[in-house]
Amino acid sequence: MKKVTSVALVAVLSIGTLAGCSTGKTDQEQATPSSVTTAAKKAATKFSISYPTTTNTGYHTRVDINNDKWVKKLEELTNTDLTLRVTEVNKMGVLFASSDIPDVVGSLGTATDKAMSGSVEAGMFLPLDDLLKQNAPNLMKTVPKEAWDAVSYNGKIYGIPNWLENPSRRATFIRTDLLEKAGLQPPKTIDEFLNVLRKFKAMGVKYPYGARENLKYADTVLGAFDVLPYKEQFEVVNGQVVPKFFDVENMTKALNVIMIMFDEGLMAKEFATTTSTDWLKNIRSGDVGIWSSNLVSLNDFRTNIPNAVKDAKIDIITSPKGPDGKGGYLMYQPVIGAHYISKNVKPETAAEIVKYFDWMTSEEAFKFFTYGIEGDTYTVVDGKVKYKEPTNKEEQEEQDHRGTLHSSHESTVNRLKMQTDPNGPYILNAFDNILAKEGLSGIGFSPNLEADAKYPDAASPGSDAAPKIIMDHMIKMIYGKEPISDWPKVIEEYKTKGGNEIIKEATDRYNNKKGVLFLGKKQE
Amino acid sequence: MASKIQPSDRTVYDFSSQSQKWAFVRKHWPIYVISLPGIIYFLLFKYIPLFGSIIAFQNYNIFKGIKGSKWVGLENFQRMFAYTDFLQILKNTILIGIYDMCFAFPVPIILALLINEVRVMMYKRIVQTVVYMPHFLSWVIVGGVVVGVLSPSTGIVNHLLALFGVEPIYFLGENTYIRPILIGSGVWKDSGWGTIIYLAAIAGINPDLYEAAQIDGASRIRQVFSITIPSILPTIVILFLLQIGNFLDFGFERVFVFLNPLNNENGEIIDTFVYRAGLVDRQYSYTTAIGLFKSVVGLMLIMISNTFSKKMTGEGLY
Repeated sequence: MKKVTSVALVAVLSIGTLAGCSTGKTDQEQATPSSVTTAAKKAATKFSISYPTTTNTGYHTRVDINNDKWVKKLEELTNTDLTLRVTEVNKMGVLFASSDIPDVVGSLGTATDKAMSGSVEAGMFLPLDDLLKQNAPNLMKTVPKEAWDAVSYNGKIYGIPNWLENPSRRATFIRTDLLEKAGLQPPKTIDEFLNVLRKFKAMGVKYPYGARENLKYADTVLGAFDVLPYKEQFEVVNGQVVPKFFDVENMTKALNVIMIMFDEGLMAKEFATTTSTDWLKNIRSGDVGIWSSNLVSLNDFRTNIPNAVKDAKIDIITSPKGPDGKGGYLMYQPVIGAHYISKNVKPETAAEIVKYFDWMTSEEAFKFFTYGIEGDTYTVVDGKVKYKEPTNKEEQEEQDHRGTLHSSHESTVNRLKMQTDPNGPYILNAFDNILAKEGLSGIGFSPNLEADAKYPDAASPGSDAAPKIIMDHMIKMIYGKEPISDWPKVIEEYKTKGGNEIIKEATDRYNNKKGVLFLGKKQE
Repeated sequence: MASKIQPSDRTVYDFSSQSQKWAFVRKHWPIYVISLPGIIYFLLFKYIPLFGSIIAFQNYNIFKGIKGSKWVGLENFQRMFAYTDFLQILKNTILIGIYDMCFAFPVPIILALLINEVRVMMYKRIVQTVVYMPHFLSWVIVGGVVVGVLSPSTGIVNHLLALFGVEPIYFLGENTYIRPILIGSGVWKDSGWGTIIYLAAIAGINPDLYEAAQIDGASRIRQVFSITIPSILPTIVILFLLQIGNFLDFGFERVFVFLNPLNNENGEIIDTFVYRAGLVDRQYSYTTAIGLFKSVVGLMLIMISNTFSKKMTGEGLY
């Protein structure tokens, strides 16, 4: 038992930040008043629901979330009687193993994600196609097809998603104050990128580029050469679906660039043991010149770095491009997460539950989840919302909890919140004009390939993580322990250790169009 | 005499009838009641879960349960032995286990003997507290501390080496250093904790023995070798046997926090592999099979070493 808890703990600590934001936007042309309030005469719909989270701390661990003002207001707005639960994603397996499964289960990722533990395949949940057609006009209108696909299994919709219209979410950050001091322009190509880093080094910047273990959030160069070794980064080459690191030429070029950065001290010499905590600390203390992170972290950087370096300026730039004009980072799955309705729920209740989720796209919902309750967390002055921003960690966590409860909406960025945020216009502009134009598309599979489970060393453990075989050799090559020219041998090793089966299965699934995900821009 | 743990005098009771037997039980009821919690604990938490091990021979699905899952015989075990790096991982596990036994096991004993020789009570207490404190830190924290101390740019170890003109060494980036780091960090964290049981055993030694030895002119060192060590030998043997039983259970977390692509060739053990294989795709049966393999090996080691130990020293677990 001790082992289980330690595994869980490590998993919590090592969980990626793939899903950590709860934001949304309203559709301009959509202003349907809530139909729920008019139906208040009807008895409230009673059901239990679990919301997913990635943390084991925060508001829900301190407060009885079934008796606070948020759930009461939410019940009043939606005419429901909720029994809330917040479940850590890596404890979902335990939830399914127990017999105590809520009526509605929320999870992160797709319908067949690890967290769902195979429950959708095992028929634990209701197919929702008809229910949605009858009861969720707004969702049917706004949710894009890719998002429905990602929460479907065997052609039937099972989940009601939190979807993303812009799957490009990570950006290249730069310290503009250093750039001005250096008298240089923002780097457009990899060569210019190296030049800027060298200049930063000469100016005494401790870590010109922010690198960290397993190259997580440190894959700018891999992106520029389009060789991201990740789970949803397969491509079609000569009729076969292969991982992008099969591109020997670009992979060797990319590794050579990273090796130059390593040898010249343009990134931490001990990046193989630099944890995310250290990495963030270095950035916040102003020791890093260029780094990669989620765009929504801009507020964090613009708040924290100037505390350490007085005149620090932080900006988002177009990611440096490689020889083929590509650049940026991985594309995200079209959904952040979704909610599933248990097969034990009565049909009439299920219909009401679907209506509850449909309400989430309304303006009333956006206002409630973003600003809270009028007179308590915000006031309206001259028709303008004055929102009481959180001033401490507890209030911040409470705001996050309220955001967690907002299911089924477009989650790229909370445009409503951006209106009252000092950096709001900047972030929106970066999303629409920088990120929407970069990022690397790829092919992925949902449910996972069966070969992935058989060969854990050859399978990517996550959407932004490389297979063990590949990552081990990449790091060894950067440290000069193996020659980069040996990359073809690495591919051979990958093939013999399960890669061949993975490629075969991926190609079959792709040709038969079974559970294929296209991440990013539409493929012809 | 505090030497061997002698079995209590075996009294064989002969009951001529059932009622007499019950009368006996009733008479000694408190003893039976006291033993109940222990018996229930072992039944509930040790024996019943054992039956769950049968999922190692199934393709277990949590929604179908043990009854509904398919039987696959020894497939999971075959898969384990067929895994290309299995031998390397097993080798690492065994080597790290052996190092742990040779280098980490004696440390608490030596430490206890040394602490026992300290005459200033105040100082003795302080030393004891300081050495067992790290036990209460989690491995995540210890890992962070060790990584920091060994860092080539900021770590104190490399600072000291620099004084002697040695180039900074990236300890965690080398296959050569990972095993010593694993053992060393374990010694630092847990050896103080391990001294407690030995100090208790030393405290139980009859003082008359020391007095007699002093009269015979034995020096302090002589007393340690002739009285203290023989007296705590049974304790040492028992703990050693238990340690052998956990031979393949080095612990997941303490290795996981130090692993990276540059050192996992020598550092990866069965526990960390189970974590990776299980993490990728909910392989309940596969990981149970590996766990079962470890338990069986542990059981065999305990039985073999217990037999040896009984032959050699007359001490044993059973």
